[in-house]
Amino acid sequence: MFLAWNELKSAKLRFLLIIGVLTLMSYLVFLLSGLANGLAELNREAVDQWGADAIVLSDESNINLPQSSMTIQSAQNISAKDKAQIAQILLVARKSGTKIKESVAVTGIQKDQFLMPKISEGRAFTTDNEVVADDSLKADGLKIGDHLNISSSDQKLIIVGFTKNAKFNAAPVLYTTQSTVQKIKYGKANASGKGLINGVVLRDPHFAHLKVDPKLKLTPIETFIENMPGYTPQKISLDFMIYFLFVIVSVTIGIFLYVLTIQKVSIFGVMKAQGISSGFLIRSVIAQTFLLALFGVFIGLVLTTITGVCLPAAVPIQLNIPALFVYGIIFILVATLGSLFSVQTIVKIDPVKAIGG
Amino acid sequence: MSILQIQNASKIYGSGHTEVNALKPTHFSAEKGELIAVIGPSGSGKSTFLTIAGGLQRPTEGSVLINGQDVTKLSEKKRSRIRLSEVGFILQASNLIPYLTVENQFRLLDKVKKGTMNPNEKEKLLKQLGIDDLVKKYPADLSGGEKQRVAIAKALYTKPSLLLADEPTASLDSDRAFEVMSILSLEVKEKNKAAIMVTHDHRLTKYCDKVFTIVDGQLSQIAHGDRADAQLNASD
Repeated sequence: MFLAWNELKSAKLRFLLIIGVLTLMSYLVFLLSGLANGLAELNREAVDQWGADAIVLSDESNINLPQSSMTIQSAQNISAKDKAQIAQILLVARKSGTKIKESVAVTGIQKDQFLMPKISEGRAFTTDNEVVADDSLKADGLKIGDHLNISSSDQKLIIVGFTKNAKFNAAPVLYTTQSTVQKIKYGKANASGKGLINGVVLRDPHFAHLKVDPKLKLTPIETFIENMPGYTPQKISLDFMIYFLFVIVSVTIGIFLYVLTIQKVSIFGVMKAQGISSGFLIRSVIAQTFLLALFGVFIGLVLTTITGVCLPAAVPIQLNIPALFVYGIIFILVATLGSLFSVQTIVKIDPVKAIGG
Repeated sequence: MSILQIQNASKIYGSGHTEVNALKPTHFSAEKGELIAVIGPSGSGKSTFLTIAGGLQRPTEGSVLINGQDVTKLSEKKRSRIRLSEVGFILQASNLIPYLTVENQFRLLDKVKKGTMNPNEKEKLLKQLGIDDLVKKYPADLSGGEKQRVAIAKALYTKPSLLLADEPTASLDSDRAFEVMSILSLEVKEKNKAAIMVTHDHRLTKYCDKVFTIVDGQLSQIAHGDRADAQLNASD
C-alpha cells in the first residue's frame, strides 16, 4: 500500500487519467445495465407490482394474457390461498378532442382483490368506465378528468387517478372494473361476455400443488413474464450485451494495467536488486489496481446516479442500486484480477538486467 | 571469517559462437574493514563481477560465500533475502525510486527490513553526506551528485555487512568524491564492513586497502592501496 499510494500521489495526472478511463468504463457498464433493466421493466413492471406467484390462463392462450379467455365459474373453482381475477384488452386510447393517442392495456380487476394498485394521485375507480392510469401517461399530456375515446368501441373512459410503475408489455395500464373490459370486448348488448375473464392471478407460494381444469394452465409468474411477446429475445440480447461488455472491459483493464507494469520494470528491477521481494512488489501492484478501480467505480456510480436522475422520464432507465453495487464489486474484482497478468512479469524481472549488468 | 569469499567462480554468457567469457575463474575475498577497488574499462566484466559478488546472479561455476553462506546454492527468494540483509548496493543507474521522496526511500526500507538505522544514526548519516535538508524532495528535483549521495545513504541505511558500489563517485565533483570516499572508508573501518567499489577513477585508490584490475574478465590484484596510488601515477 505504501508504494502504491505514494506513486498515486506523485503522478497525479497520470493516475487521474487512468481513473478517468476506469470511471468511463464503469459508467458505461452501469448505464447500459440501467437501460437494459429499464427496458425489461417496461414489460414487467405492472406484473411485478402484483406481487403474484402464478397465473392461471387458458391452455389455448400460449401463456399470453390478452389471448386467454375463461369463465368466472372456472376461476372460482381454483382453490388458491389468495387469487384475483383479471380481464384485459389491448387497444388504442385517444384523448377526446385531441390527437394524443396511446396504446394501452385496459385491465379489469376487482377493487377488493390484491391486483388493486396503490393510488399515487386522484382516487380509485368506483363505477364502470372510470380508470386509474399508469402515471407515465402524464408525460404525454394526460391528466385526471380527461376523457378517452377508444378504438373498436364506443365506450368512453375517464381518468380518475394515477398509479406508479404500471406498464404491461411496454403498454401503460388502465385499471378499471371487469365489466368495463367486458363491455369494450363484447359490446354492451352481448350478455354472453358477462361471465368471461382473461385469467386468475394467484398469490400462493405452494401453487404447484393446485389442481386446475384441464382446459386451463397454471404458470409460474416468471415464466409468464418470459413468455410476453418480445420479452425473452430482448432480455437475452441485452444480457449478452452486458456480459460481453464486462468481458471486454475486464480484458481492456487487464491490458492497461499490464502496460503500466511494463513501464515500471526497471524500477522494480532496482528494488529487486536491493532484495525487496517479488511478493512485496506484487502486493503493491494489486493494491494500486484496487485503489484505482475503487475510485473509478465510485465516480462511475455517482455519475450514473446523476444521469439517472437527469434523464427525461421517456428514457426507460431503471437503476437498481443494490445490483449496481454488485456490478461495482465485480468490476473492482475483475480489474484486480486483471492486474494478476502483471504478476508473472514482476516475478520474471531480472535484477541484473535492470541495473545494466 | 571473510565477509565475501569467491571461490573459483566464472561466468560464461551464451554458448557456441556467441560464448562470452565474462568472468574467468576467480578467487577473491573481502575481509572486515576492507575497502577494495576494482578498476577496469567498460566491458571488462566489472559489472558481472559485482553482480556475482552481490548474489544478484549465479556464477556458471564456482561458489560465492557471503558471511559464510554459499549464495550460489540458494533459491532466488533466499538470495533476495540475503541481499536485503547483508548487501548494500550503490548503483550507477541511481537506485532511487522516482515517485518516493528521499524520506520515503528510507521508509520503504523500514517496511521491508528490520534493523535499519535508528533516527539518530540516520540523521548523522544524512548530515555527513550533506543531504539532511533534501528529505522532502523527489529524486527528479535532485542534482546528479545529490542523487548519488542519497543512493549511498540508502545503501548504508540497511546496515549491510557488504557494500558493493558501481562508480559511486561518477557524478560527483572532486571535492565531493573525496568526501564520499572518506565517508565510505570511515563506515567500513568503524563498523567492520567490507566494501567493493568498481571504478575507473584512479584518484580514489588512495582510500582503498586493495586494488584490483579487471581486463577481459581476468581479475588480478595489482597493489595495496597506498602503493597502488603511486604506481598508477607513475604509469600515467
